[in-house]
Amino acid sequence: MSVSTADIKRINPLIPIRGKITKIVQETPDVKTFHITTLDGQKPFTPLPGQLAMFSIPQVGEAMFSITSQGPNHLEMSIKEVGQLTRFLHEVEEGQECGIRGPYGNGFPIDYCRGKDLLFIGGGIGLAPVRSLINYCVENRKDFGKLIVVYGARSYADLVFKEDLFENWPKVENMEVFVTIDRAEEGWNGHVGFVPAYVEELNISPMVTITCGPPIMIKFVLQSLAKMGFNDKDVITTLEMRMKCGIGKCGRCNIGSCYVCLDGPVFTLEQLKLLPPEY
Amino acid sequence: MKTIVKSRLAELLQTMAQDFRVLVPVKSEAISQFVPWQEGLTVNLEGNTVLPPKDIFFPQTEKMYKFKVKGSSVDIEEFAEDVQKQVIFGIRSCDMQSIDCLDKVFLTKGYEDQFYKTKREKTLLVALSCTKPQDTCFCESMGLNPQEAPGADVQGYDLGDALGFVAKTPEGEELLAKYGSLFTEVNAVPQKVEGFNLKADVAGIPEKLAKMFDHPIWGEVSQKCLGCGACAYLCPTCHCFDISGTVKGDQGYKFRCWDCCMFSEYTRMAGGHNPRPSKKERVRNRFLHKLYYFKDRYGQLLCTGCGRCIAKCPVGMDITAIIEKIKEAEV
Ligand SMILES: Cc1cc2nc3c(=O)[nH]c(=O)nc-3n(C[C@H](O)[C@H](O)[C@H](O)COP(=O)(O)OP(=O)(O)OC[C@H]3O[C@@H](n4cnc5c(N)ncnc54)[C@H](O)[C@@H]3O)c2cc1C
Ligand code: SF4
Ligand code: SF4
Ligand code: FES
Repeated sequence: MSVSTADIKRINPLIPIRGKITKIVQETPDVKTFHITTLDGQKPFTPLPGQLAMFSIPQVGEAMFSITSQGPNHLEMSIKEVGQLTRFLHEVEEGQECGIRGPYGNGFPIDYCRGKDLLFIGGGIGLAPVRSLINYCVENRKDFGKLIVVYGARSYADLVFKEDLFENWPKVENMEVFVTIDRAEEGWNGHVGFVPAYVEELNISPMVTITCGPPIMIKFVLQSLAKMGFNDKDVITTLEMRMKCGIGKCGRCNIGSCYVCLDGPVFTLEQLKLLPPEY
Repeated sequence: MKTIVKSRLAELLQTMAQDFRVLVPVKSEAISQFVPWQEGLTVNLEGNTVLPPKDIFFPQTEKMYKFKVKGSSVDIEEFAEDVQKQVIFGIRSCDMQSIDCLDKVFLTKGYEDQFYKTKREKTLLVALSCTKPQDTCFCESMGLNPQEAPGADVQGYDLGDALGFVAKTPEGEELLAKYGSLFTEVNAVPQKVEGFNLKADVAGIPEKLAKMFDHPIWGEVSQKCLGCGACAYLCPTCHCFDISGTVKGDQGYKFRCWDCCMFSEYTRMAGGHNPRPSKKERVRNRFLHKLYYFKDRYGQLLCTGCGRCIAKCPVGMDITAIIEKIKEAEV
């Protein structure tokens, strides 16, 4: 049985539906992408790009992850090994059953992006949420202007979604992909250096920008974009706070009077500037 | 007004208990709280309960679902919850107001919390007026009338030797009619409320707090806080929860339990980053949530003036004193 967004709101939103991991892709030494379906092989629900899901192995734990992509019959989440649940996930095999609930959060402002040129900036695992929107734009190519991706990771091995970066996206019409790694290494002929500096180097004129990465990267990217004259309301990013309920009840993920699980995780820089700097 | 002499209260409760689970304030040793009525219990109508009635809808720990693991297969099953029709008898204005806050959290903004809703929907509320505020009460300052509880189905009045009841909703009307034979119709006037010892002037506080995120007062007021969380557990409006689980062998269950933003683990994320690393940020969040954020989000303050946090804080943190400090602070 597949469940629609409306169903999720009607049934108990705190109780996961049963799912199955049908495919596991090793992205980097510590990031794997998991394809998830319901037990009978359907898509658990249809999220908007940028939305989130609470993913659980009930006997181990539950955590919030962005849905990095979706197909007609599955959802994809890219998960970095950092703690107990994620360590367990990195050991399981295809066929493992799980729990999933969602979709949660506001998602990216697609209507606002429609018809515009878009710059995507990602760092490390931070490309995961951004990818959901990139894939959406690629699938609905005519609805968007020029697409530019700037992405960086510590090393070549740490680059996620290599197939998208080097094969799929560069082939898309009017789409450019720029990849950088922090330090030079043998066999890498591409750009070397940090993402914010690379963005400045590329001298991109102001457009709608979607950024996600480690907090320190975001901080410097925002400075670079400001220097380059980007408009605060066109700078879009996602925030992470500890989450438990995902539906604005447990109180955990507040930044001021806003709940990241419900009112976010997507915010424009204009909105962020109105929130207390507590993230 | 429908009245009954206090000596016949047990009879009324006993009769009601045939149709409902009836929750009444009862005192045992140092703790008073709402417990299901049974014959022989002594209802305590003096002052408010030490523990708030929020656990009736939002238990301190609540099982959510169970699971069974077999190899890589995981079965998930809801607990079948048998929720009875219930009456909360003798709830004060401050705690009624807190139920309004909890309703806003659990039943609005896009999602309904089913665990809360099933219990809330089956509950009738019989409020009881306050005539003698305790030393730490300041509900009047929070815009409440200790004699008229917002949202009650029936308003009860302490008339000295008797209790009087006035229906406020059709459901309340029905409830009183059901036990009509036990009441005497009397023209009674509720007693006057004695003055309040504690006061707080909240006019303009949310607006002022909007500009005080970086104010030095948070460093000062947080210094003595122990981070014990007693204030949040005793507060009738605090509603934060954690989701956790237990496993034994190949099965287990998930439960939620009260949590508190005064605990250091509360916002700690994977990798160790914590947006509220010290007491300063945590105490600030508590007071900003109560006196500013909640108002901004739901249109009212998240404090009802019940005074429990003041009465029980081991280091004497007093929210009215903090309101005073905010009032005086320069921004
Ligand atoms: C909006 C949002 C989107 C996200 N998207 C993604 C995504 O796309 N991909 C991804 O990989 N992650 C994502 N995350 C992060 C993810 O939700 C988890 O936080 C992370 O994966 C947790 O992993 P875990 O459960 O294995 O860690 P846990 O085992 O829960 O522990 C994680 C860490 O928490 C700390 N910790 C927890 N409890 C304690 C304790 N008692 N004492 C001391 N330290 C403790 C430790 O530092 C520990 O290493 C996202 C988070 C949010 C909020
Ligand atoms: S009860 Fe007092 S000491 Fe304990 S957390 Fe609350 S304010 Fe701090
Ligand atoms: S903050 Fe204190 S006084 Fe206000 S409702 Fe909570 S416990 Fe009562
Ligand atoms: S995760 Fe519970 S309120 Fe956001």
